[in-house]
Amino acid sequence: MSAASIMDPNPTVLKPSDKISKAALYIMQHRYRSLPVVDNDGCYMGIFGVNCLLRLVLPRAAIMEQGLETVPFIHETLADLHSRLKDVEDKPITICMHDEIETVPPDYPLVETLLLLYRTKCSIPVVETDSCKLLGMISYWDAGEKILSA
Amino acid sequence: MLLTTNPANIIFGIDPTLFASILFVLTYLLIITEWLNRAIIALAAACLMVLGGVLTQEAAVQGIDFNTLGLLTGMMVIVGITKNCGVFQYLAIWSAKKVNADPWGILVMLVMVTAILSALLDNVTTVLLIAPVTLLITDALKISAYPYLFAEIFASNIGGSATLIGDPPNIMIGSAVGLSFNDFLFNLAPITLIILPLTLIPIYLIWGRKLNSSPEHRQQVMNYQELEAITDVRLLKQSLFVISLVLLGFILGHDYHLQPATVAMSGAALLLVLNNLTQNAEEQSKTVHKSFCEVEWITIFFFIGLFIVVYGLESTGILETIAHWILGKTNNDLTATAIAIMWVSAIASALVDNIPFVATMIPLIESMQSSFGSPEQIMPLWWSLALGSCLGGNGSLIGASANLIVAGFAERAGQPIRFLPFMLIAFPLMLLSILISSIYLYFRYL
Repeated sequence: MSAASIMDPNPTVLKPSDKISKAALYIMQHRYRSLPVVDNDGCYMGIFGVNCLLRLVLPRAAIMEQGLETVPFIHETLADLHSRLKDVEDKPITICMHDEIETVPPDYPLVETLLLLYRTKCSIPVVETDSCKLLGMISYWDAGEKILSA
Repeated sequence: MLLTTNPANIIFGIDPTLFASILFVLTYLLIITEWLNRAIIALAAACLMVLGGVLTQEAAVQGIDFNTLGLLTGMMVIVGITKNCGVFQYLAIWSAKKVNADPWGILVMLVMVTAILSALLDNVTTVLLIAPVTLLITDALKISAYPYLFAEIFASNIGGSATLIGDPPNIMIGSAVGLSFNDFLFNLAPITLIILPLTLIPIYLIWGRKLNSSPEHRQQVMNYQELEAITDVRLLKQSLFVISLVLLGFILGHDYHLQPATVAMSGAALLLVLNNLTQNAEEQSKTVHKSFCEVEWITIFFFIGLFIVVYGLESTGILETIAHWILGKTNNDLTATAIAIMWVSAIASALVDNIPFVATMIPLIESMQSSFGSPEQIMPLWWSLALGSCLGGNGSLIGASANLIVAGFAERAGQPIRFLPFMLIAFPLMLLSILISSIYLYFRYL
């Protein structure tokens, strides 16, 4: 058994040119945690999800590496946070997608794939070995469904 | 000082002086090229000094300045624990609000905070703590963080040059020569008080007068509650108590033959005791582990290796030869030698790591003592080296560790500080500070 046996081969995808406002609306409406971003050739580029939205509304100094560890002195309203999102809503999703999330090839061993899913705590893109083509996505739900129905 | 080494025989068919010199030059070149981590290079070179027979193991250990290492390690532990209480964020926000969030006023205040903290703590830690708050404030004001980060680099190096503990070159010089905290304070702090405001003038002319922010954005900064930045009041009290004792120890300790390393290590031990007193064994284990992780071990091992390499070179007598050559060029004139040391140190420190440079210069200047007479007579040379190497760090992005830390932070913040644009402004500014220091040195000591 391999990664391909538990992946969703037809995942919903976003395009790199999609604007943040459109992608935000889409993932909020459908309650997606994250979606893969692929270009016109089907090449995998990264992941955009609710965590990206949180990153856009929080102060940059707090979320960056070696930034502020705590910010109890900041008292902002929901409107303040929304205005921070509005500043970037017309920009493409590529400015905040995660591109360092680990991918697996379709023949990756099943248990190793599940271990990666457990450790990374987010859906895993399955990418063709010799190209960057996205073949599918493996979410907690895909894995759980396949295991329970076995 | 020197030597407990047995005279080295021919090494791999090479004269020991030549072997040590080649090893030293190679070490320098590798450090500059950053082909390998600098700690690895220094340690490997130190091992080769022993394996090659230039030094015995006993002599190598004797070459390590444990006073410098103890002072650095102790202060790193103290600052590492203290930062968790949020006092540094408090200071930065408090200073920004004191000037009603006026953009230029904030720059001046952050420069002052950075300079003072750099004088009392190490530069890297200071900029690591101040840079994120700077970005937070400039983001809120919707203005570029670049002028602020640029000014903070200068402030950290200028402030660091004011005291014994402010910058590694001063720690090394103080330890090698036996200078006290007060010696540095009375001799170097006055000139830094002149250089710092003078440095702000060109910064104002280049960026300051264009810094503007709307009242709404300034209000956002005014809304920050600085008191809430203090996340652990008990730790704050403990830390302030220990830091006060440590500073008192630095100021008074010299008269009681207390070395700075003893003071810093005692402070670290006391703060560890106070911080862990109410915790159970498991919690203590975690807390102590975290506290010791705050020590920059790369820097410590870099120092260990470097001390051995320079001691090996010193043992061959080549540094003494170079010292006499320099004195010959300056006609044994103290003024010319002091000014030359300051300018060469400044330019060298702008281009290469100032730590190996100072480590090499210390035995070199010690060798000059016989030509000038008593240790008191060569004191201007030590102040030249201290000012040149600390202020020289402002000349380029690679001139000091703190510069690289700020540059890395700016890069991640999407406002990169590039090498050449930085140097185009920083190098002339650094030369200005060296010119002012030369005038100060001339009129005060020469």
